[in-house]
Amino acid sequence: MTEPAIVVEGLTKEFVLSHSGAASLKTAALWWKRKRLERLQVLRGLSFTVPRGQCAAIVGRNGAGKSTLLSLLARVYKPTSGRVEVAGRIAPLLELGAGFHPDLTGLENILFNGMILGLTRRQAVERTHAIVEFAELLGHIDSPVRTYSSGMLARLGFSIAVHVDADVLVVDEVLAVGDYAFEEKCYRRIGEFRESGGTILFVSHNAESVLRVADRCLWLEQGTVRMDGDPQEVLAAYQAPS
Amino acid sequence: MRAELAELWRFRELLGAMVERELRIRYKNSVLGFFWSFLNPLVTVLVMWFVFRTLLRNETDNYSAYVLSAYIPFMFFNLAVLDSAQSVLVSLPIVKKVYFPREILPLASVLANFVHLLLAFLVFFLYLLVVWAVTGFQVTPFTWRIVALPILLVVTFALALGVSFLVSALNVFYEDVKYVMSVVLYLAFFLTPIMYFSENVYYAFSGKGWWGEVVYTLYHLNPVAMLATAYKKALVSPGPIDISGIGKVPPVPFEWGYFAVACVVSFGLLVGGYAVFNRLKWRFVERP
Repeated sequence: MTEPAIVVEGLTKEFVLSHSGAASLKTAALWWKRKRLERLQVLRGLSFTVPRGQCAAIVGRNGAGKSTLLSLLARVYKPTSGRVEVAGRIAPLLELGAGFHPDLTGLENILFNGMILGLTRRQAVERTHAIVEFAELLGHIDSPVRTYSSGMLARLGFSIAVHVDADVLVVDEVLAVGDYAFEEKCYRRIGEFRESGGTILFVSHNAESVLRVADRCLWLEQGTVRMDGDPQEVLAAYQAPS
Repeated sequence: MRAELAELWRFRELLGAMVERELRIRYKNSVLGFFWSFLNPLVTVLVMWFVFRTLLRNETDNYSAYVLSAYIPFMFFNLAVLDSAQSVLVSLPIVKKVYFPREILPLASVLANFVHLLLAFLVFFLYLLVVWAVTGFQVTPFTWRIVALPILLVVTFALALGVSFLVSALNVFYEDVKYVMSVVLYLAFFLTPIMYFSENVYYAFSGKGWWGEVVYTLYHLNPVAMLATAYKKALVSPGPIDISGIGKVPPVPFEWGYFAVACVVSFGLLVGGYAVFNRLKWRFVERP
């Protein structure tokens, strides 16, 4: 087995639930009136490794901890316990247009996002043309991003993520947003990415796309891995009526 | 903290881009653009000059220059703190999605305002030159003390950044912090020698016994007030100051002791504020 690209070991993540809504100084000051905070354990000692070049899919019902896992990989959360290690640069592709500033133009957002994902300013500038071309946004790139349609946002987001030379691509079901032609282009690009040794972790509810790109499938349930293995077998078990 | 600073250094280009973005967004939809940074202090000083010279008949030489020299850094402090108070909260949607050192957010707000501060001082010096020319080069409006300006700027920056770290981190959890700060800053304006002079404070409390000394000391323990006096002393040539009820008095010597305290407090707040920010930053995304 090649060296691992993603190592997740005994990963636990707890959230504090609040019933009072937004925090304020008032709730902090009136500590004796504060209700006891409830804790929600989303991930409970999750462990798995993804070797370099593998494309692993993650399936699971809502609330199984898929998005939390991706956020932990993207270093947005800090684990409650356990560890997450990603070898090399990670490009998270989460939700539509996340990380775009609505008032800036597409071009400005490309520079900005590219730099957040670890490019230098010069690299980001050099790649803008390729990114715009891939996203098919040539006529719109100087308009503010708030004027973009959801399809345009998704194309831009995908295009940036695949142009930052990431070693690991983390995808949260965004492949099915473009039109058919663009989707095909995305799959081709993902294929190229994998041929060049890139690792992919993606979350999807779409069995078809899991079968199409993944060579391994993890089924998460209640914060742990319920099943891990060949996509066809795992999906069959996952989709079987229980 | 060393690891955090190294991480920040790794993201320096992103920081640069964020500062640029802040400057750009602010003036994107305004006709006068960058001139706003000059217009605001100039108009304010004009009004103050009118009030104090004409209505209150204050006869201090270079009054407008004195006011401007302290007003410009105070406004920087004010805007830097209020802007950065919002910075993390406004960017929470991005913070929840991608990783980057979170301290970049308040840092960018403070730096963007610092750029304005430097530009405003540029205008200030032009203004002094104009005053100089108008008086027929008789009254030199500044002295060699002006070399202290870079030191004052560094201390002011440290103070503003330290407070901004604290305020921006706390404001994520308690949005009241921003409102409290805007009131505090509004009041601080009056408790800082901007419109008046440290000499006013000195003569108001000297010879009043122990409580006068206590109030005088408390007043000068405020680093913002001490810095305002320092800017006035450093940037405008000293001359007699007109105090109502007393008349023109010679300037009071600079309080080096309190200035040292202000420096220590400023850098202490910077280190402490950064430590608090780093402690809280992982909880930003999980705020209840």
